[in-house]
Parts: sequence; C-alpha cells; structure tokens
Amino acid sequence: MRSFALALAFALAASGAQALDFKPYGRGAFAQIVKAHAGRPLMMHFWSITCPPCIAELPQWAKMIEMRKDVDVVMVNIDGDEDRTRAMLRLEKAGLGKAAHYAFSDDFVDKLYFEVDKSWRGELPFTALIAPDGAVTTVTGAIDDPLVTKWLEKRGGK
Amino acid sequence: MSIARLIASASILALVSTGPSRAENAPAAPATPAEAKAGHNGHAAPACNDPKPDCAMTANPAFDRKGRLWLAFSVEKSVYVASSADGGKNFSAPATIATIGDGVVDAHGDARPKVVALDDGTILASYTTRPDKQMIGTIFTSRSTDGGKTFSAPQPMLTEGGQRFDAFVVSPRGRIYGGWLDKTNALKAKAEGKEFRGSGVAFGWSDDKGVSFSGKKILLDHACECCRMSAALDKDGLPVFAWRQVFDGEVRDHYAAKLSADGAALSGGRVSDDDWAINSCPHHGPGLAVDNAGWHLAWFTKGKNRQGLFYARSADGGKTFSAPEKIGDDARAPSHPALLSVKGRLYRVWKEFDGTTTTIPMQLSRDGGKSWSAPRVMAQTADASDHPELVAGKGGAYLSWVTHKEGYRLLPLPRDEKSAAAQ
Repeated sequence: MRSFALALAFALAASGAQALDFKPYGRGAFAQIVKAHAGRPLMMHFWSITCPPCIAELPQWAKMIEMRKDVDVVMVNIDGDEDRTRAMLRLEKAGLGKAAHYAFSDDFVDKLYFEVDKSWRGELPFTALIAPDGAVTTVTGAIDDPLVTKWLEKRGGK
Repeated sequence: MSIARLIASASILALVSTGPSRAENAPAAPATPAEAKAGHNGHAAPACNDPKPDCAMTANPAFDRKGRLWLAFSVEKSVYVASSADGGKNFSAPATIATIGDGVVDAHGDARPKVVALDDGTILASYTTRPDKQMIGTIFTSRSTDGGKTFSAPQPMLTEGGQRFDAFVVSPRGRIYGGWLDKTNALKAKAEGKEFRGSGVAFGWSDDKGVSFSGKKILLDHACECCRMSAALDKDGLPVFAWRQVFDGEVRDHYAAKLSADGAALSGGRVSDDDWAINSCPHHGPGLAVDNAGWHLAWFTKGKNRQGLFYARSADGGKTFSAPEKIGDDARAPSHPALLSVKGRLYRVWKEFDGTTTTIPMQLSRDGGKSWSAPRVMAQTADASDHPELVAGKGGAYLSWVTHKEGYRLLPLPRDEKSAAAQ
C-alpha cells in the first residue's frame, strides 16, 4: 500500500542512496500542477512500469526535455508504491533522473484519471497537453503521435 | 506523513521477508479504520495492513459446493485465502499462501490472485509475482486439502519466459483449465534483436486437482500484454477464453477462442472490428460468459469505429459475432465489465464514475443476451474500488466487490426482471 514505498524511499535516503524525488500526485493535483505552470506550454505525461510501450519511449522523453526547454514537462508515474523503486530505476536508466516527477499517492485512481480527462480509464501512455491559456488536449499513445507533434510545433498555441 | 510514522513503516518493511503475518509483527498499530480508509488532499492513504479482504485492493471470489465463499486477495507482499460461511459478512482467519521477499505481488487493476473451489473440497489458489528488476511475472499455484487451513508450498506454473494474467475454469469432469499471457516468445525475439508485439496466449490443464499442470503451450502470439484474460466453460465442457489481441498495425481489438479437446488448437475469432490502432496498454481486459445461446463478451475500446463499453455474442463458436451494442452511460466513463451466466440467467455488470461516485450498474437477460433489463445500480462508493466480479453460488449470482470505504461486499443479484428493475 501507499506507505510502503515512502518507507522504502526513506530507507534509501537513510542509507545514503540517491532517491529520485517523486512528488505526491493525489486528488486535485492535476489542477494544481496546471495552475503552477500557467502561461507556459505544459506536457503532463502519465506512465507505468507495467506498460511496455511507456518504458520503451522514456528515452525519447528525456531527449524531448533536453531539446525543448520552451515546454514544461511533468512526468507522472501511476504505479502503486510497491512498484516505485522499479519506476525510479527505469527513469534513471532512461536519463530522466533530473526531470520533474510525480507519482500517484492515492488509490482512488478512477478519480485521478477523471480529473485529467473524463473519458480516460487508465490506458497508457497518456499525455495531457496543456496550452499556456490552460486549454487541455489529451493523447493516448506514443510521444510521436501526430497530435503531440502538431501541438509542439505551435507550442500549445492556437 | 510524520517521521514517526515513516520510521514505523520502515520497520514493517524490515519484517517483510521474515514475517508470515503482517498483523502479528507490525510494531505500530495500523491507523484507525476511518483513517485507514481515508486518503485525501494528495496525501498517501495510511495503509490498512490487516490480512483481511477489507484491506485488499482486489479480491477474487469462488463458491464451493457447500455454499462457502472463498476469496483470494493480497495485502502488501502477502497473498491470502479466506472463506466465509455467511455470504461474506464474516471471514475465517486467512491462510497465508505466500509472503514474497523480492518483487511484488501482481494485485492491481486487471491483475489479481485467484481462487478455485473444486468439488472434492480442494481449494486451488494462484497468484503472480513480478521480480524487482524485470517486467515479467511468474504464476504460482498452491492448494489446500484441509478446508483452507493450510496450503501447499506454491509451485511455479513455468519457471522461464514470464507469465501474467492467468484465468482458470473447471470442467464438469474435474479438469482444471488454465490460460495465461506468456512472454517467452517476446523475450526470445528481443534477444535476437527482433520486434515482437505483445505476449503469447498459453494454456495448460490439470487432471490431478491442481497438483500438476500439463500440456502447457503457447497457441497464439501477440495478445495485448497488459489486459486480463477471461475464461468460461462451453456447453461441451471445453474452455473458452477471451482477451485483447494485437492485430496488424497495432490494432488492439478482442479475440475469443475455445481450446480443442486435445488442448493443441484454438477455434474462434475476432469479436469486433473496433480498430483501436494504438501502441498503448489499455489495462482493460474483457468479460466473458457462456450459456446455451453461445458466447457473450463485454469489452472496452477507444477504436476508430466505436468508443466505450460494448457487448456482443456468438452463436457459432466464435466464427461470427453480433453487432457490438453499447453498454452503460458514456457520460459516466463506463469500464471494467463482467459477465456471468447462471441457470438461464445472463448478468452483466460494470463500473461507472461521475467524478465523485463509483457505481456498479447491473443488467439481466433471460433470452440469451437479446434483450436486457434496465440498468440497476447494485452498489456504489465514494472512494477507491476494485473492478466488479461476478460469482455463481447455490443461491444464484452474486456481485463481489471490494471498496476502500465499505470493505468487502457480496451482493445477491435479482433473479427476475421485476426485481431487477426495482431500484
């Protein structure tokens, strides 16, 4: 359950190991993160270690973050706490150790999905593209989806 | 979360690999029930650590011949089986099937430990573990021949390749059929530097009440690797399985097939042409039931041709399927369907969510799926919840559902249209 990986992170921290910092993503987090990035194009990317296509494209996200400093990127791991260490290792391996990371901290996942997109049932990879004016477009599937490319070309503008 | 609590949790962690029962060894008392079920404002929900169904994220039910309910579930790193003689109100002290050290128990969303009750009283439990470093699983089975008091040392179904999403069904002659998704060919392709979509679909069976499984073989490749399989028994006693298949061009639509009597071949077909062409993990497998009218399926798609939850049936062994019919209210994100046939009654349930409340609507068909009663909400909750499961018992069909706030619930389903319509 949820306290478990926090304990693990704590244990790692206590042992001196470098723990990648996952901020908690709970109810209301989507709106809070959108608000914090208001005025800038934001990509909020949801992924899981139980999703092979997600893992396969993590290095592309690292490259994207490197190349597109004009776009904010927030990565959200939707796994339970028991998978968090594994998620951390995957991110570090993909060169995403220094990106902004959140992780689901609430078991009410249906609500977390709903707050992003009412029709999202948890399919992954899933990305919310948030324009500087707050307009949200959601994309199921890989980062090279034409919708993502088009949105990036316009930096979320119209 | 306070530091004191973190330290307490860390101590629990240290005991994981040695302690058979979390409840006995936990140095810190779990939170109060109200607190344990809370979880709000983005903070982690305090753990409900007790080895009981109420604390599980998923629960899989089965009734035995005498009408006793059995549940397989996992709490943190342990897998348990508990039983109830009063329809899920009170449960026996759970038997610990396994407490794992390395890795995790696969018990989220579509993945869950399972239980099968055989006619002679044998209880078979299964669960999947995933090691820490790889995204593959191992399916284990364990059995009890003393009424669920003790279980045998878990045996791996296979020791290589990686398996997940097992589904079991028992024939009238007592053969236990198992189906699962198998990564063996995917790993082989990867080692050779070749592309490989999804997992294989594999099957096996046991004629000795789960002591051993034989005939284990991948019969088809390229199933979607992150969605559950479903299983049901056909009229002739052979098992039917349903899963999401990856068709050409990353199209993730559904397939249903029956295993041949010799276990060497599958016969069936594509359920519908939804055309969900996407390199993604829906984490959303189909529901399946079989009755005299044929095979009945319900599934989720976001394809080009249709989006939402759908139902179709096949009267010719999967060669053709009826036109997909929409299920549920699109405005309430319908998801995770389950189907069950009991004595001429066909039931379907699914999940709906409006942003605040999750409901489980139910529909009954008395004519083999041609017509359905109006949806009736059987249960609801305002916090996290498992997918709904349907289970057949002496008294008919039941909804089995575990939710954060209410804990475990077993609810009898109506037996006629009149009571099905009553709200």
